[in-house]
This record gives sequence, structure tokens and C-alpha cells, in this order.
Amino acid sequence: MKVLTANRLTDGEVVFWTGEAWSERFVDAGRYDNDAAAEAAEAHAKGQTTLLVDPYLIDVDEVAGGWAPVSYRERLRALGPTNKLDHGKQARGGEDIALLAHAHGAARSKGRVDLIRRK
Amino acid sequence: MPKLIRWRDASAAWAEDPFTAVDDDQPLPRGEVILSFSRFQREGRALLDQGRHLGVRLAPDEAPEALVVDIPRLSVLAVSFPKFRDGRGYSIARVIRERLGFRHELRAVGDVLLEMAPSLIRCGFDAFEIADGTTPVQWAQAARRFRHVYQRAADGREPAFAERTAG
Amino acid sequence: MYRYDEIDREVLADRAAEFRAQCARRLAGEMTEDQFKPLRLMNGLYLQLHAYMLRIAIPYGLLSSAQLRKLADVARTYDRGYGHFTTRTNLQLHWIKLKDMPDILDELASVGLHAIQTSGNCIRNLTADPHAGATADEVDDPRIWAEVIRQWSTFHPEFSFLPRKFKMAVTAASADRAAIRVYDIGLRLHRDDEGALSFEVLVGGGLGRLPHLSPVIRDRLPVRHLLSYLQAILRVYNRHGRRDNIHKARIKILVASLGPVEFARQVEEEWSLTDKAAVDLPDTELARIRAAFAPQGFETLPAVSTPFEAAKSSSPAFARFARRNVLAHKQSGYALVNVSLKAIGETPGDCSSEQMEAIADIAELYSLDEVRVTYEQNLLLPHVKLDDVPAVHEALAAVGLATPNIALISDIIACPGLDYCALANARAIPIAQDIARRFADPAQAENIGELKIKISGCINACGHHHVGHIGILGVDKKGEEFYQLTLGGSAEDDAALGQVLGPALPADRVAPAIDHLVEVYLRERRTGERFIDTFRRAGLTAFKEAVYAQAH
Repeated sequence: MKVLTANRLTDGEVVFWTGEAWSERFVDAGRYDNDAAAEAAEAHAKGQTTLLVDPYLIDVDEVAGGWAPVSYRERLRALGPTNKLDHGKQARGGEDIALLAHAHGAARSKGRVDLIRRK
Repeated sequence: MPKLIRWRDASAAWAEDPFTAVDDDQPLPRGEVILSFSRFQREGRALLDQGRHLGVRLAPDEAPEALVVDIPRLSVLAVSFPKFRDGRGYSIARVIRERLGFRHELRAVGDVLLEMAPSLIRCGFDAFEIADGTTPVQWAQAARRFRHVYQRAADGREPAFAERTAG
Repeated sequence: MYRYDEIDREVLADRAAEFRAQCARRLAGEMTEDQFKPLRLMNGLYLQLHAYMLRIAIPYGLLSSAQLRKLADVARTYDRGYGHFTTRTNLQLHWIKLKDMPDILDELASVGLHAIQTSGNCIRNLTADPHAGATADEVDDPRIWAEVIRQWSTFHPEFSFLPRKFKMAVTAASADRAAIRVYDIGLRLHRDDEGALSFEVLVGGGLGRLPHLSPVIRDRLPVRHLLSYLQAILRVYNRHGRRDNIHKARIKILVASLGPVEFARQVEEEWSLTDKAAVDLPDTELARIRAAFAPQGFETLPAVSTPFEAAKSSSPAFARFARRNVLAHKQSGYALVNVSLKAIGETPGDCSSEQMEAIADIAELYSLDEVRVTYEQNLLLPHVKLDDVPAVHEALAAVGLATPNIALISDIIACPGLDYCALANARAIPIAQDIARRFADPAQAENIGELKIKISGCINACGHHHVGHIGILGVDKKGEEFYQLTLGGSAEDDAALGQVLGPALPADRVAPAIDHLVEVYLRERRTGERFIDTFRRAGLTAFKEAVYAQAH
């Protein structure tokens, strides 16, 4: 399963593609189980150059109660820095954030996919 | 053919380009030509002796010092920037101007972009085959963007320390 | 300190105006990200994991109170009310919005600050001995030469697109507090018997994937020729440094492949052809810059301060602070006061806006209006009267900045790591926090003595792990964070690269491993030996066995 993400041009905020719009919340992200559809969405996003910087696909996996990015790096992007829990998306709290924060074990066992795509 | 901007007397303008850039495997056309460094080494002196106006195109790994004997007879030196991030051409240009004393056209060719204008001019270039569709007006603005410079280069601008002494 | 004149200010204003126009073109869609990215990087603006990061230059680590207050204000207005001081003595703000950048650059320019050449393949912001102008072991004030280089390297037209980034450090002291051997160019000032000043020029040091300690390529360069000689070095590098492989593009690779002797020969040849008079600064300009750093405002004071001695006797906490964080000044009756940004459990190098303002106030009242940034991610008040140290301590303690741990086990260098950085493979900050908490007891830390732990979240080595007494490198193993330990590195006079201890450890085993290493040291050490001395004498094996014993 894949999710499309990017950083917003004006402020760098991490955003996720719902299928219709860009959302700041990972929980809103649309999931693609079809690579062709995912890549079509990515190609469309790459055209939105006045809105986004560097859209790319990430791998997500089912965890207890929902979905989470497979890679540690992407979970940090969906949450915020671990040294300041009052900064970033995690500051808002809520069930979806708690789920990501606890996604640790399940995601780790899946290993690394598409981790270093963007440099 | 890329458009040529010429920088002269602190202003920029479109310029006619009478020179034809010639590849190494291409038959030599009539008129004024710019040859690669290696082709110039093979054919250049004979052509100069015929009275042809010649230019030489230097790749960033070719040393302008090798042209020291021929430089007084050359009309154009073109220095190539394969990518704008490849900054070897700036050093080459300063050697050509400040050490070899070349006074004719020094042309930047290749991935030549507006943002390079201040550095190119400071290092002694006075002609630009632009790759980004920008205009002489934009080049003139970019060249004038900074009221002061901190170091001497090939453009004769007085650096800050000289301004301070004068002021 | 040097104050910007009209010319310096107009350069900053022109730069800010230029970037304002470039931002507008990008936001209007007139420029693609590919075109814009190099331009924003030239203004210190990176895109990281959560937001843009702005790297503000602090030339040779020197700040006035007004500048520090402005940084506090910018951090509060445009960021989250804090900043992160780096090993290159810059300040990073981690939550910047692109649309605010033009205003931020204007704000910074109003106090002579900027983000020029804090990124890109150009001559980066230069570092210098943080004790400059205050230490008795220096032959000249290195800030004079640092300012000379700052001006010369700013928007250098020939050297803005080098094969790779280029960093310099300068010191005039016998003790190396600027890590000059791990820089592209390290400069050390000497003074001969007749009083003439010269530079020892070291070229080709660096950390990262292929760490090198720099060799000396010229022993005694007359100081008046500094700039023409630098131009010769940079020109040889610009023309001949590798551009085909980003990992082999630093000057250290050129110096190593040619050999220092041949590299030096090429530089000397280039220099012999250089019109030195056109490049080197005239004496009038040198004198102008030198005058800006002339000592001023010092009072004639006795060497011993009664209030300082009394405070040490009456307060064990103050006595500890005085032992750890206060150093002798060349001026009688004055001291250098280190401000640790390594409070136990906090992020190394982080400083809140309130803390910056408090330090600015303290510096204005007690330190001749000056603050320094050290590459070890701490701040320093360079000119404090011994009489005032108790008041300074109290004021620092009130904002959580009186941690008495300079050069101790909890004074850890850590890069931002994967918590922020787009290049990182693993987090660095939580590892530093774990270790610091484990050694939170100041008496225990003092008993362990000098121990420099340096943590990088990737091989780019912003956390200087190669030259830590204990170095910690974060690596990615199949999506998990692992940490490789090295022992025996140093960035100082005894500069050395650390040796790998063994297989990388998972995050939760790093702090316990440090515990084991310290146990071995305490068991093995002889009188007067620091951790690194014991390691050098006793060797790797005992330490290795202690850490990996359970795995057998």
C-alpha cells in the first residue's frame, strides 16, 4: 500500500494526498494498492509546482487500529521531532497521532522500503 | 543557435554572432569559426596564417595557458560551462584575462544562466550564449545588483577596501 | 568587535533585496524548484523533514548583545521560540516558512547578520578560536584575520561554484580550540623572535565519509600575503578538484591524491604567478580591521577577587561552576565564562529565545557586550570580571544555563539527526539525552573528568563523531536505527581519528555501552589520565570486551 506525500511550498509543512486534496494529517491520506494509480497521482502532483515541493510515494502498512508509514523517517514526518513532543503534527494529539506514535514495533519488523528516495 | 548577449561599457545588449561553432568532425565552413581546443591545435595556425578570424572553445579541463603563444591572434575565446554548478570556467577566465592578457571577446557558453551574470562579468567574460531565455535587460539588472564588491577580479571594479581608502 | 560600516550594510541590503525578488518569482510560479533550490540554499534555506530550516551565519562565532537579541526575536516571531547552535558556530531555525524569508533576511541585516554562504559549494562561514582576544596563549587576535577572510570570501566571483563546500578555521593560540586539522584550510598564527607574524597553512582536513587530518603545506606564510595565498590554494582546487564524484570532491581528496608535497608545489607555482599586490589587503585596511578588535573597556583589577573567592568558599555549587566553566583571562581580574547549552536531558545546542535574551543582557552588563559561539555547541562570555562571576552564575542559573559540565561526559555534541534533518539515517538527540541523564550526577561526571562524546546522525559527520573521545555514528540497518561507536578520536592538539569499537548497537544499548566504557576507564586509569589517555595506553581490547561481553 502506498500514500502520496510532499512538503508544501509556502511553509514546508508535510502534506498527504487524500485523493482529492492535500491534508496536513496522515490519517486523511488516500491509500493506493495499485502501483499504476499511485504513480499517476504522483505524476499529477509533480505538476503542482506552485503548491508543492518534491512529492513522492511512501509505503504504508496496517498496524493495530489503522495504518502507518513503514519507515521510521516517514513516521517522524507524520508526527514531528521526538525531542520536542509539543512541536509538529503530534502536538495536536488525538487517536490518529497516538496510533502513529505506537506504530513502532509493527512497522520495524517490515524493514525498509523506499526509505531514501528523496535526498 | 543560442542567442548572444554582449556586455560592453557596463551595459548589455543583443549581439550578432558572426562566428560559427564547429564540431571536430564537421567540415570547415567559410567565414569566422570557433574551434575546439584540440582541433585548433591541429588546424589553427594554418587558418590564422590564411587570415581567418578564429575563436577557440575551451572545455573546463583544458588549460588556457597552452594558448599563450597564439592568444594575440585569436578573436574569441569561448569557455564552456557543462553545468552551471561547474565553476572551473571562472578560474579559466581570470587566467585568460589577468595572466595571459587576452583583450578580445571572452564568451561563456553551455549552461549559462542569469544567476551567473555577476560572477561571469567579474571574472572577465563579456559575451554570453544564454541557455535560459533571459534578456539583456535582466542581465544588466543582475550585473548591477550589488553596489559593492569585496575583492579585485578581472572587471576592474574597485573593491570595498579601496572605496574605504578613497572615502 | 568589528562593526559593519555603510558598505557592509549595503551588501547585506542588496542581498536581501535579491532574495526577496527570487522568492517572489518562485511563489508566482516563474521559477521551478530545480531553478530555485540552489538560490535558496545560497541563502541558507534548506527543506528538511517538517519545514524549512534557515542556517544563519555567525561569522567566527562572534555576537554582540544586540545581534543575539535579534536572533531571539526572529526565533520567536518566525519560528518556535528557539534556535539550535551548530558545530560550525551557526544558528539553525528549524520551523521556517518560505513566505517569511524576505522579512527575516531584512531583520537579520538590520543588525549585520545574514545567511550568506551557509550552504552551497562555496567558501562557508569561517570559524575561529572562541577564546580569541581573551586568552593569554595567543600571539595575535585571530578575529582580525577571520574578518579579513570573511570580507574577501563574501560573494567571491571565482569561488562560488567550487567542486564542493569549503570551510576554514583560524587560531592564534598554542592550544587548538578551533579544530583546525579537520578543516579544508586550517590557519595557525605564529610570531617569530622579531615579532613578525606568519601563518602555518594546513590544507586538506575534513570529516565525513573519508576523514582526513590536514598536512601542513606551508610552514610560515607572511601574514600580509594571506589572501593571495588563499586565492592560489582555491584556484588550484577549483581547477583540479574532482567533480565527477560528490564523495571525492572535497579538497582533502585532491591533497591526498597528489600528495601534500606536489599539492604545495602547485599552489606555490600558482602563487608565484599571482599579482599579489592586487589581491592582498593594503596596510590601511588591515589597520582599520585590527583597530576594531583592539581591547577596550578593560579595567585594571587585582588578579584575585575577594567576592569570587568568597562565593567559591560558601557555595559548593558555585565552586563547581567555577572549576568547570570559568577560565583564566589574559587580563588580570577577568575570566571567560562558558555557558553550557547541555543541560541534562535537553537538546544539545538548543537555546530558547528567553535564554538568548538573558545571555544578551548578561553580556551587555558583564562581558563588554560580547558573546561567542563554540564549535562544541556552547556559548561563552569572554570578558567577565571575576568580581561579577557570582552574579553571572546566578543570572545564568535563573534561566537554566548554569550547568557545570564543560568538557565532561554530558557536554555532548549532537547534530539534529533524523528528528529534523533530511540527510540523516538515525536520530542523534535522544541518544545524547539518554547518555546525559545517565551521568546527571555532577560529582560523578567530574570524577570521570574530561570525556568528549560526539554524535552524528549520518556519515556526513556534522556531529564530529570521528574526533570524539567516544564517537557515535547513527546508521540505518533495514529501517532501524543503529549506532556505531568509535574510540580515541580528538579534534584538538592531539588530533586523531577514532577507531571502530565493534558492530553497531541498537539505540537502547548505546547509553549502557557508554556506562561500560566508563567503568573500564575508571578501573584502568592511572593518576592524571583522561579517558582518552587511558584508551591510548591500554588499547581497544578491554573496552571492546566490556561492551560486547553479553553478546558472547
